[in-house]
Amino acid sequence: MAYDYQAVHALEGTIGAIAERRANHLAVHRATAMAMVLASPGRVPEAVGILVANGDFEVRFSGPGEWLVLSEVHAPETLAAELGVRLGDAAFVIDQSHGRVALTLSGPDAARILANGVAVDLHADSFPVGRAANVLCHHISVNLARTGAQSFDLVAMRSFAEALVGDIKIMARSHDLSVDFATR
Amino acid sequence: MASLISCPHCGMRPKEEFMIRGDAAPVRPSAMASDEAWHDYVHLRNNPRGRVREHWQHVAGCRRWLLVERDNLTHAVFSVADAAAEGGQ
Repeated sequence: MAYDYQAVHALEGTIGAIAERRANHLAVHRATAMAMVLASPGRVPEAVGILVANGDFEVRFSGPGEWLVLSEVHAPETLAAELGVRLGDAAFVIDQSHGRVALTLSGPDAARILANGVAVDLHADSFPVGRAANVLCHHISVNLARTGAQSFDLVAMRSFAEALVGDIKIMARSHDLSVDFATR
Repeated sequence: MASLISCPHCGMRPKEEFMIRGDAAPVRPSAMASDEAWHDYVHLRNNPRGRVREHWQHVAGCRRWLLVERDNLTHAVFSVADAAAEGGQ
């Protein structure tokens, strides 16, 4: 059965149309394929092996035996089904593509901006590229991942997206920050 | 100064990320235990000063239940372990 849902981004109408891109930039992704994967009891190594078998998935730590999986290869509509087929009964998969919003904060002050709201040491030695963690950003729970020396990905629940962007603007008040939808 | 809890899965985190359920000592009685046993379990708590064992949940992190042993006077934290690893006590 086909339903004609209206897909409106959680931040539609609240951001966008910036005059210029500044040194630090918060890019809001319009559609990101995301899913939560929880390994079945005792089957963590098997689930990890399947998830990292090819480069299709970006696996971010969420908890023991639990990951936030993103994909550039698969569409939001098909990622969960694809994971379900590959993982079988080794893990439970829940689609989050429209349940969460992904943001990318990049720029020379990215770590300093985040340090105003996140109580985790973001120095490259203790939070290197590829590391991910569920952290509290002010009062909002986000999955924070370092994707580069000067760039971080934040994934938050959809309904918190507007408050999170507001918080990040306040955190970046003494830095040069622009906010817009990502173009790709 | 915020209390810092060393989560076995996430590392050092501020106490604001956690939810505290309370004393880990009471053991749930069987379903058919006496009313007195259930009354004790549900309502009666010791209120010790010093070293206590508590159930904490890392709600803003890994969401796992933890057993935190700490001093409620000095806020010194002695040990933090995953509650499942401790046999679900």
